[in-house]
Amino acid sequence: MAGYIVRRLIMALPVLVGVSLITFILLNVVPGDPVLEMMGKHVDPLTLEKVREQLGLNDPLYVQFGRFLFNALRGDLGKSFKTGQPVTQMIMDTFPTTVKLALSSAFVAIVLGITVGIISAVKQYSFFDHAAMITALAGISAPIFWVAVVAQLVFGLQLKWLPISGYSSPKHMILPAVVLGIRFAASIARYTRSAFLEVIRQDFIRTARAKGLAERAVIFGHALKNAMIPVVTIIGMQISGLLTGSLLTETIFAIPGLGRLSIWALSNRDFPLVQGIVLFTAVVFVIGNLIVDISYAFLDPRVRLQ
Amino acid sequence: MKKKVLAFLLVVLMITAVLAGCSGPKNQSTPQEGAGGEKSGGILNDYFESDPNGFDVQESTLIVSYHLARHIYSTLLRYKGDTLELEPELLAKMPEISPDGKTYTFELKKGIKFHDGTTELVADDVKFTIERMLDPKGKGMSKWLFEPILGAKAFMEGKASSIEGFKKIDDYKFQIILEKPYAPFLHNLAVPAASIYSEKLVKAAGDNWRLNPVGTGPFKLKSYVPNTEIVLEKNPYYFEEGLPRLEGIHYRIVPDATTALMEFENGTLDVCLIPVNEYQRIKDSGKYEILEGVALNTYYFIMNLSDPMWSDVRLRKAVAMAIDKEKLVEALYGPRGTVAKSFVTPGIPGAYEQGTGPAYEYNPEEAKKLVKELGNVGKLQAWQWGGERISDANVAIQAMLKEVGLDLEITIMESAAFRQARSEGKIPASYGNWWADIPDPDNYLYTFFARTNQMSSGYKNKEIQDLLEKARYEVDMEKRNELYRKIEDTIIREDVAIVPLFHLKNLLATQKNVKNIILHPTGVNIYTYAYKE
Repeated sequence: MAGYIVRRLIMALPVLVGVSLITFILLNVVPGDPVLEMMGKHVDPLTLEKVREQLGLNDPLYVQFGRFLFNALRGDLGKSFKTGQPVTQMIMDTFPTTVKLALSSAFVAIVLGITVGIISAVKQYSFFDHAAMITALAGISAPIFWVAVVAQLVFGLQLKWLPISGYSSPKHMILPAVVLGIRFAASIARYTRSAFLEVIRQDFIRTARAKGLAERAVIFGHALKNAMIPVVTIIGMQISGLLTGSLLTETIFAIPGLGRLSIWALSNRDFPLVQGIVLFTAVVFVIGNLIVDISYAFLDPRVRLQ
Repeated sequence: MKKKVLAFLLVVLMITAVLAGCSGPKNQSTPQEGAGGEKSGGILNDYFESDPNGFDVQESTLIVSYHLARHIYSTLLRYKGDTLELEPELLAKMPEISPDGKTYTFELKKGIKFHDGTTELVADDVKFTIERMLDPKGKGMSKWLFEPILGAKAFMEGKASSIEGFKKIDDYKFQIILEKPYAPFLHNLAVPAASIYSEKLVKAAGDNWRLNPVGTGPFKLKSYVPNTEIVLEKNPYYFEEGLPRLEGIHYRIVPDATTALMEFENGTLDVCLIPVNEYQRIKDSGKYEILEGVALNTYYFIMNLSDPMWSDVRLRKAVAMAIDKEKLVEALYGPRGTVAKSFVTPGIPGAYEQGTGPAYEYNPEEAKKLVKELGNVGKLQAWQWGGERISDANVAIQAMLKEVGLDLEITIMESAAFRQARSEGKIPASYGNWWADIPDPDNYLYTFFARTNQMSSGYKNKEIQDLLEKARYEVDMEKRNELYRKIEDTIIREDVAIVPLFHLKNLLATQKNVKNIILHPTGVNIYTYAYKE
């Protein structure tokens, strides 16, 4: 297993270099000058040139990329053009908040999604099934900013049960986690239902029932584990996505996460920060996929990690 | 099973109720009354839409940084209340100006202490501040403020070790000599980016300065959590007796305007910039105070005269007459806007004051005639600064031009790309706005139409550009104002290089217990005299 993980991580290296190279090329191809973004309304050509020089933007592109790669391999992602702070520190300042939001919304999504999915599958075509699937469809289709504003209005402004925005206490995280989680719960519920339906029609479930096992034992002991493989893939991908930040939720609820930092970096053409965030995001996805693959082996003994 | 579900729901309900019980407005304090009956006290809960990324206002051109600088630092001069009249802030009296308009003699107030309570402000600090901004190795982003000083250019190019035009007389007195007389210079000194730093404290802080500012302003930084909150507290050493009145200001970073409004209605924010579509509802509710004030801005439609597409003045006149400014401002901003008759905001000395309406009144019939005369002009192009969709203003302008037979195509350019194209003079035309830094026609007209114009106007009228240089250095204010009126008349009426559309008022809603906030036309609000009841 350890060998498998090491091999997978080594294989990820070219992916990370490739992602960095593409980002670097894109940043330099799209119009927009980081120094102009700093200068605001009054552009002074002399300062523009001096600051470009200081930031190393006048060096040939291959030198700039080589410098980034060399430093990144040593764990140094450089300093933000705009704030002068180390990029690693800026990412690490926002990442815990994003993790908190991602995990709490994933918790909401998994508990709600899997529960609803299983009940829908077991009671297929019942009122609950129809109602749950229509609600899930609505959950997937409803724009997140709309759900968020309605939640703020009802639970924050009208009922005054929860804070409208901010993230200073656990209760601040309830609304954003639920708003973000509901969306993912909806898709998890639909995946769970279809995977479950497929499994409970198979021979071994019929056999389990025929030998007189209680329905609960059939569902949780036999069907659940088998139905989980496609669901785990979806959950893994969604958690990786959540860990790279959710711009809309972070903006609406005033949460200082990675999503807001990414857009801020991009709109300010803060090259080192954009490069750093993209590389970090790629690492999160690589590790996320690896965890998903490893979890297959636990769920299905037929899968061997090689 | 049912019992378990019910028990679970009950637990959830209880947890929510307990959490809800913990909520409630923070930062309340009892107001106090001074010997003269003046009230003070309270912590103001305010917000910014974006983070300032530090407190070194020399490095930043963001309005957020300007607001904070007004609280944390002080400038040599400032504006009196909500007027455009300058008054001394760190100075003991208004500076004396030599008859040739080049030499300014300043005298600092004695005994002004920085927030540390021990460091005293002296003339060397002023010299240090100016040189730090102009330092070729530094990150000063508002060099234009001090550029008129003699020797500034040589210093910026690294050819001089100090600025020739700064002469220290003693610890409190100094002179600033300009290269050429420049009438708005004193206004430059009132811009928050010209805040005076302490040489000793900045040098001691080194790279930490941007996060640990120490000024002479009414409030000092207590804590800062990036992208989350900024807490300022009263400066006990502030040089004006009895001020500030607030105990502190608690800023939160709330990027979404709707969220900010809900927080305001919830009572967790004391002030709020009301979105246009919510203005009437908030006003009619009667629950809040609505503060209004003039602001130094102009919204306009500008055409790039270097672009062959706009070369015929008849086309530009047709555009100016096709846009119904009144309808536009009413639809976009309702009572917050007024139709512009000039590019330089009215109220500024030297602003264009001929007639009562815009230079070109809405006249679609005349515009149609001109378009007919021109024949086929093809598809016209304009760019939009950022956004996910074409803005309402651009949609309206497009529709109005269509009415007179002009086909305007709008391209959305991402903001950084737009800014770069603008600095290269490549924007064909655009709807935009200018919020002036100082109340002077030079800040509008020179910025847009001088030879070194940065705003993609493509303007090339030699006579007017010569006059712009002349007016800039004219000492006689009457003559200078006359020159600007002539310049503006030519630019907007004869050359039709820009179509001024409307001006917006400053608008701020506050809770009823918040008193004495000053909305200044420069857009930088003053909280020094504010308090909460």
